[in-house]
This record gives sequence, C-alpha cells and structure tokens, in this order.
Amino acid sequence: MKIMPAWFWFSAAALIVLLGPFVLAGGALLGEVPRIDWSVLWQDRYLHAVMRFSLWQASLSTLLSVGLAIPLARALARRQFTGRGILLRIFSVAMVIPPIVAVLGIVVVHGRQGWVNEILRNLDWSAGSYLYGLSGVLLAHVFFNLPLATRIVLQRMETIVPENWRLVDQLGMSSWQHWRYLEWPHVRAVLAPVAALIFALCFTSFAIVMSLGGGPKATTLEVAIYQAVRLDFDLPLATMLSLVQLLMCGAILLLGLRLGRPADISHSLALVQQRPDARRAVGKYVDALLLIMGIALVVLPLSGIVLAGINSKWLTVLADGQLWLAAWNSLWVACLAACLCLFMAWGLLLLRRHTRHRWPWGASVLEATGMVTLVVPALVLGTGLFLALRNWVDVFAINLYLVLLVNSVLGLPFMLRVLTTPYLQLDSQHDRLCQSLAMQGWQRFKLVEWPVLRPAAGLGLAIVAAFSAGDLGVVALFGTPDMKTLPLLMYQRLGSYQAESAAVTAVVLLALCLLVFMLFERGIGGRRA
Amino acid sequence: MVDVLDMQDLQVQQGDNLFCFSGALVEQGCTALMGASGSGKTTLLNTLAGFVQPVAGDLLWQGQSLLGLQPAERPFTSLFQEHNLFAHLTVADNVALGIDPGLRLNEHQRQQVEQAIEQVGLAGMGQRKPGSLSGGQRQRVALARALVRRQPWLLLDEPFSALDPGLRQDMMALIDDLQQRHQLSVILVTHDPQEALQLASEVMFIAAGGVYWQGQGDDFLQQQKPLIQRYLGALS
Repeated sequence: MKIMPAWFWFSAAALIVLLGPFVLAGGALLGEVPRIDWSVLWQDRYLHAVMRFSLWQASLSTLLSVGLAIPLARALARRQFTGRGILLRIFSVAMVIPPIVAVLGIVVVHGRQGWVNEILRNLDWSAGSYLYGLSGVLLAHVFFNLPLATRIVLQRMETIVPENWRLVDQLGMSSWQHWRYLEWPHVRAVLAPVAALIFALCFTSFAIVMSLGGGPKATTLEVAIYQAVRLDFDLPLATMLSLVQLLMCGAILLLGLRLGRPADISHSLALVQQRPDARRAVGKYVDALLLIMGIALVVLPLSGIVLAGINSKWLTVLADGQLWLAAWNSLWVACLAACLCLFMAWGLLLLRRHTRHRWPWGASVLEATGMVTLVVPALVLGTGLFLALRNWVDVFAINLYLVLLVNSVLGLPFMLRVLTTPYLQLDSQHDRLCQSLAMQGWQRFKLVEWPVLRPAAGLGLAIVAAFSAGDLGVVALFGTPDMKTLPLLMYQRLGSYQAESAAVTAVVLLALCLLVFMLFERGIGGRRA
Repeated sequence: MVDVLDMQDLQVQQGDNLFCFSGALVEQGCTALMGASGSGKTTLLNTLAGFVQPVAGDLLWQGQSLLGLQPAERPFTSLFQEHNLFAHLTVADNVALGIDPGLRLNEHQRQQVEQAIEQVGLAGMGQRKPGSLSGGQRQRVALARALVRRQPWLLLDEPFSALDPGLRQDMMALIDDLQQRHQLSVILVTHDPQEALQLASEVMFIAAGGVYWQGQGDDFLQQQKPLIQRYLGALS
C-alpha cells in the first residue's frame, strides 16, 4: 500500500474536525424533516412577519452601512488629521466587540435615559423612546458594519497607484470625475461581496435582535429558531426555520459572490495618498461632516460602554466569583477555538496546494467551504448538534466544548480571508525554489511559511479569539447556571434589570476581548502587526 | 525669443533628503535627465509637474512663476513608466480624457482623438481596452493623450524601461518624430546613456542633491568629474 505523506493526514484531520459538526448537525436536522408541518410556512402570520422583518432589516442595514461607508472611506482617504490613526484602529476593533456589549453602548447613547434624550430634554424637547424595534437594530448593525465596510473600501482605494492620482490631477479632473474614473472602478469589485457579507451577518444577527428587537414586529428567523428550541422545544419547527434561513441566506451570499470576489481582511496601511481633491474647500466641510457622523455612530456608543461601566457597583461585581469563573471560561474557550480554527484553515490550504494540479476545481471548493459557515448560522449548527448528541451524552455537561467547536467552525471564513491571499502569494513565489531545495513539510513550514505568514496568522487568531470570547449565540442555547461565559452572564444581568452590574460586566468583557485580540495579534503576529 | 524653464534654487524635501535644483532648460529640444538611482530625477519631474511642492525657491516659465498653479494648469504632460491608462476605459476614451476630463467631446475633438491615435501608430484600435494591448502599445496610447493635451512640455519618466530593446527603438523614433512635428520640449529620465544621447541634445546630470552638471550630450561622455565617471562606469 502506498504510504500517504504527512500533509495528507494533517489535512484529513482538519477536514474531519471541520465537516464533523456539519455532518452530525445536518443528519440530525434531516431526521426532523418528516415531522415538519410545512403548512405553517404558508399560513402562519407570525412566521411571515418574522421572515419579512429578517429580510427588511438586513436589507436596510446593508444599504445604510455600505452607503455611508463609501463617502466615509473617501473622507478618510483624503484627509490627514490628528486621531485618524486612532479612529482607524477603533474601526478595526469594532468588528470584534461583542454584540451584547455594543447593545449596552447603544442603550447608553440612544436609550430613554440616554445621552441623546438628555441633550434634547435640556432643549425642552424629547425624542422619546425610539430605540427598541427596527431603529435600534439598525443602529446596532450600522455600529458593527459601517467600520467593516469602511475599512474594506478604504483599503481598496489605497490600492490605487500614485501614478493614477498624478494622472487625474494633471488632467484636471473634478472630485466627481476622480470618483467616476478612478475610485468607482476600483471599489466596485469589492462592493457586492461586502454587501453580501454584511447582509448575511445582519440576517443571522442574534444577540442584537434579542436585546433590541422583540415581538412579532422585530424578530428575526435566528431569534425564532432560538425560541423554538429553548422555549417551546418545538424541534420540527426549529428545523423548518433553519432550512428557510439557510436557503434565503445562501441565495443572497451566492449572488454576492457571483458579482465579485471577496475582499481580503488585512492590516490597513495608514498611508495617505496626496490626493488632488483634498485641496478643495467644499470637500473639506463635507468630509468633516462625514467624519463626525462616523464618530457619532461608532465611537459614541463605544465610549458609552466605558462610561457606563464606571459606577458604584464596580467593587461588588469584581469581588464576585461568578464573574471570574465566567471570564475564565470565555478565555480558554476563545483561545482554543482560535487555535482549532487555524488548524482547520491550514489543513484546507495545504490540501489546496497539494492538489492544485490534480484537481484545479479545489480552489472553488475551498472558497465555498469558507463561505458555507457564513450561511449556516450559529444557532442552526448548534441546534443540529444538540439534536444529534442529546441521545448520547449530556449536552449541557459538555456545553463549553460544543461552544468551542461551533465557534471555531464559524470563525473559519474570517481566518481563511486573512490567510488565503498571503499563503497563495507565498506559494506562487517560493514553491519552485522550495522544491529545488527539497524543502518539505516541517522544514518548509518552519523556515519559510511560518515566518512569512505569522502576521496573517496572528491577525486571524486574534479575530477568531475575540469573536468567540464575545459570542452570545450558541452559548445561549447550551448555557447552564454553573457553566456560563461572560457574554451570557452579561445578557442575564441586562435581562434582570441589573443595569449597573451589567455595565461593569460589559467593561470586563470588552477588556477580555481586546486582551485576547492583542495577545494573538502582537504575540503571534509579531511587532510588525 | 526662445522661452526657458528656469529653476531658481528649487528646494524639495523628500523624507530625509533635501534637494536643491538650479538651472535653465531651453524649449524645443530634448533634455536627458540622468543620475544614479535615488539621486532625485523623479523628484525633479514631480516637482515640475506640481505633484510635489517645493519648500523654497522658484520655478519660472515664460517669466511667470508656476508654483501657485495646479498640475492641470501647468504646461506639462507626464508619462510614467506604468499605470498611464485606466484599464476599464477604451483606448479612445483614455486619449479623450486629455481633451475633457468628463469625456464630453464634440465632433471635431473626436477627430483629434482619432488623429492622435493614428499618429502613434494605433489606427483602428480605438475601441480596444488597455488590457488587450502590449506594453509598448499602452505607452503609445499615453503618448496620444499627451498629443491631444497640447502642452508644450513632455515629461518622460523612464517610459520605455519596461519594454524590449527593439520596441524601445521604435518608441524613441516615435518620440523623436512627434517632438519635431509638434514642436514639443521633452525631458527624458533614463538610465541608459546611449538611449539618452540618441534622443537628447542636452544632458542634465543629477547628483549630490542637485544639478551636478549640465551641457551638450557629446560632452557628457568626455566628462572627467568623479561622480559622472563613476556613473558611466565601463562605458567611458
């Protein structure tokens, strides 16, 4: 028998870890299919409202985020001002702020007792309660996705070579003409995938809709799935909802991918092009307004979190053992999920490299694998695993391991986005050289791949770890009173009107997320990051 | 009267380097700008075109200072080594941008574009996209745009260094032809002394942070100044 090389076993192990949960969950969900009462889908008014709201809020969120991101990215591209670097830094961490923490920040700014109302009251006017429902969900989604879209568009604009800028300058083009001939053709390529990504993220949004939505008027499919499993224990209904969500979300994502290629997530070079249109006066005012808007939508809620955390409950909360137990749980789950995710991503990339000539279509399979997890929402996967395992083990006893597994799988698209381009670039540059020097396997990894890919791997680990540490999705399904993570603890405190201790917990959670982010980004990625 | 382009102690800061350029260039001829890598050749071109602002000194043309003018208002057209074209626009549109940056052309102007494309030897290729052209053809398109812009000065920043030797010869012949036909003044940055002397009557040698030597092309090769000797190396 032919002995398989080491990479084969590595990739195979990665594939098993990756596909295992899908096969288990998928099998379990299929088992429920015969018991589904499909007529509900056509007749139930509540369900229709939920589907409509899911689509409506996701479309609006996408439109707002991308629509505002384009002019904001333009303003950032052409202005150099004090604090620009910090603003970009904040934009890049906004992505990994736990949704539940962001919700708190938004409540602090926009709630009934929030800053906006406070200011309006001083002017003898009140906006009243505008937060809960669609507007709150939109505010939160824009908080997350405006920075994401802005960064990707900005990065894309920064790939425009200086010669092109000099050219349009010499041709005397107006700012509108720059946009039309230079920026739009560049930016267009990333818009469809970004919009699709944001749509998928908003469509499957859970924690935000749970806390700021509610009622038939503001419930998404994801929340309905949670309610079906955790509250009603109606598994056929949950399965049906999962399938509906998979179909709707998958179709949108596929459409987005067809229209363009996914953007890479990487470090933004803080480089400002000397842009010719920076000199014009009107643009200066417009850009200032846009930047203020960006700060109001993103930075204000963030500072709201920190300010709310400074309250009289500080000591009581910190002295509570429950908090530290939950923090510890979040920490190890996050770190292990990130490492497991890197393992899977590396296995997939290895597989792609070694099978490149034999199966050229492997590339698209790999890309699809990365995307599948975006379509399969956390709760669907969690529900499936729950169904598959409940007859074999006590699901609630191993809940944190399940959370770990699901989070690592869900983090895969982000990891792949960070890692794929540098990996393939390295491969195309050095593959022949490595082959001629007979550098294989471990040697090649140690001497060539790891040193070059460290920054990308560090960033990928950082994103996945921070995102797992703050995740409130799967854990809401599996959490038990004595096996909690920090986000779950915070959600419960928020729900039981302990606003002050929830705020302190939020600060601890935020600190934890930033800590694991920096730990991986700097520690693994090296100082260059 | 022959107009001159007059650099008066033009000081430019680039990173840690401070350059100071002085000298005059006579119109209607080709001047080769030579010097080692990093000596400031491209910096000088960028300063002339207005992409880089000098910190002191003045730049005069026809007795007027150019420093307050935007790049589009200056009498220059630049040709870079690469990235001279918009990949998503046709050849004709890329050329037409030189007449109107919003692509609003009348019939007469459209004919001008057509003519320019013909003059650079690309007749019939107006509707192609840059992606389907060779490197040499792309530079020809950029030259055609330079022609329709009708600016007296053409700034060439190593425009042929990415081309094969044969193609390079063709392009130089084309530049020579266009220069005489349209009475252009050309400033050519190049690494290749032979290329320089074939096209240029004048040489401006950049070294030690400024214009180190300026004179007739024929004299350049005979120069005994140490920096020029070192630059020319085996050639002399």
